[in-house]
Amino acid sequence: MSALRDMQLQLADAMRAQTMPRVASLRGDGVAGEADRLAVYHHGYRARLREALATEFPGLALLAGRRFAALLDDYVAAHPSMHFNIRWHGAGLADFLATAQAWRERTELAEMARLDWAISTAFDAADHTVIEATELANMAPDAWATLRLHPLPHAQCLRLTCNADAFRRAADRGDERPTLRRLRRPRHLLVWRPALDVRYRAVTPAELPALLGAFEGATFAQLCERLAERHGVDAALPHMASLLGQWLGEGLIGRLDMA
Amino acid sequence: MKDTMPTSRDLPYLGFGLGLRVDHYEALIDDPGQVQWLEIVSENYLVSGGRPLRWLERFRERFPLVMHGVSMSIGGTDPLDMAYLDQLAALARHVEPAWVSDHLCWTGVDGVNLHDLMPLPYTEEALTHVVDRVRRVQDRLGRRILLENVSSYISFAQSQLTEWEFLAAVADRADCLILLDINNVHVSAHNHGFSPLDYLDGLPASRIQQFHLAGHEQGGALLIDTHDAPVVDAVWALYVEAVRRFGHVSTMIERDDHIPPLAELHAELDHARMLARRLLQAAA
Repeated sequence: MSALRDMQLQLADAMRAQTMPRVASLRGDGVAGEADRLAVYHHGYRARLREALATEFPGLALLAGRRFAALLDDYVAAHPSMHFNIRWHGAGLADFLATAQAWRERTELAEMARLDWAISTAFDAADHTVIEATELANMAPDAWATLRLHPLPHAQCLRLTCNADAFRRAADRGDERPTLRRLRRPRHLLVWRPALDVRYRAVTPAELPALLGAFEGATFAQLCERLAERHGVDAALPHMASLLGQWLGEGLIGRLDMA
Repeated sequence: MKDTMPTSRDLPYLGFGLGLRVDHYEALIDDPGQVQWLEIVSENYLVSGGRPLRWLERFRERFPLVMHGVSMSIGGTDPLDMAYLDQLAALARHVEPAWVSDHLCWTGVDGVNLHDLMPLPYTEEALTHVVDRVRRVQDRLGRRILLENVSSYISFAQSQLTEWEFLAAVADRADCLILLDINNVHVSAHNHGFSPLDYLDGLPASRIQQFHLAGHEQGGALLIDTHDAPVVDAVWALYVEAVRRFGHVSTMIERDDHIPPLAELHAELDHARMLARRLLQAAA
């Protein structure tokens, strides 16, 4: 191993260590001792990652409150950043919170992190045209059965057991911390970006089977069958037609094809 | 290196500019004032789409741009990140910047990114290593790059050269250019007890392509390069010395945190313009 690489490994280990060790190759002088000098980098490492993660996870910051810094320090200690862009260090935070012993009991934290991250990644996801209603106007009647409606590639449907969206909304508006509500029945939240602004909204129970089907690549006929299980055969087609109009209107559908 | 690579004389003098920050997007489009060019942080636009790239298009139409990165890790001992360099090259093809720059530092090792601009020991080993990597980066990007001096708080027992000797040697041997951060010279001079004028005197004027001006804060005995405060008098004085030695060099204010209203940066830029004009007119 070269002397240069050996020095870099020692210094990186020292910066990441909870208790800063001495690094033999460093030199102190009359201005400041070597420990004070290394401390600038040791402190800066955590501060920078905390700041970057706080920017990507404003809802989580509000929800976790005073424990947010400890939560981030745990994450940084367990998962060093491997990406050149500091922002992408947040990609593993929700999974960490869902599995780490210290945090997994509070399931709302992982849910909140997933919502924040879905919004963050939708913000600068690849631009995509959305399907307009006029593109379906001339479709042959017998083609509808095998038609598939694909949501925008970055869109996500998140399952929530708490009011995580209220925390995100409050964080974005600078409002006070809402009261955490754990839900008896899980609900779903749709996150997508039809143009430049990221949107999120609750998915109604009546819409959910069809929306999940669309994400899974089900055909129009299969979406109607899913709705029929809930609403009855006669109501399924009009209900699906209504949902289709809604999805097209809100810029959710990015691609059509035939099964 | 490719024969078609531009020489330093091919790179334009851009005048006085600013580092582009999100807080100033609207204000800069509405009223660019005397801002002649903008420096973008490359990583902020290495994204797939959305609002950042839409804004970039607008600024690209209005201003000459240069690209400034923080992730090249030119002094790192992990292999060069070719995927990163290819993304950088693709962005450069789109933006058509006047030039591309990064820092004379390392940012991580063994796959872990420290997200800091770590100083190098000034040794022959490090010099040979960096020069080889700069050449390979320039070949990959198809253009000469600028390397910026970083602020530092540590020094290494094994260093054999001064920082300016090291920077000058990298530029000379790798045939790259220098982005001279005047604030970083001041900060490191204080922290390591060397003369900032010796630093300036040790650099080759022909390779100085850009100046950064910024602020810092006092952290105990050390100065900390925060880039979050106005330029201090000592840095203005050093800027005058740099202009005296290097003449017309594209100059910008770089503020990374505690972003003030645009008018404050306009005022700092006007001050830089006034200092340079006064000095160069007197010298003419």
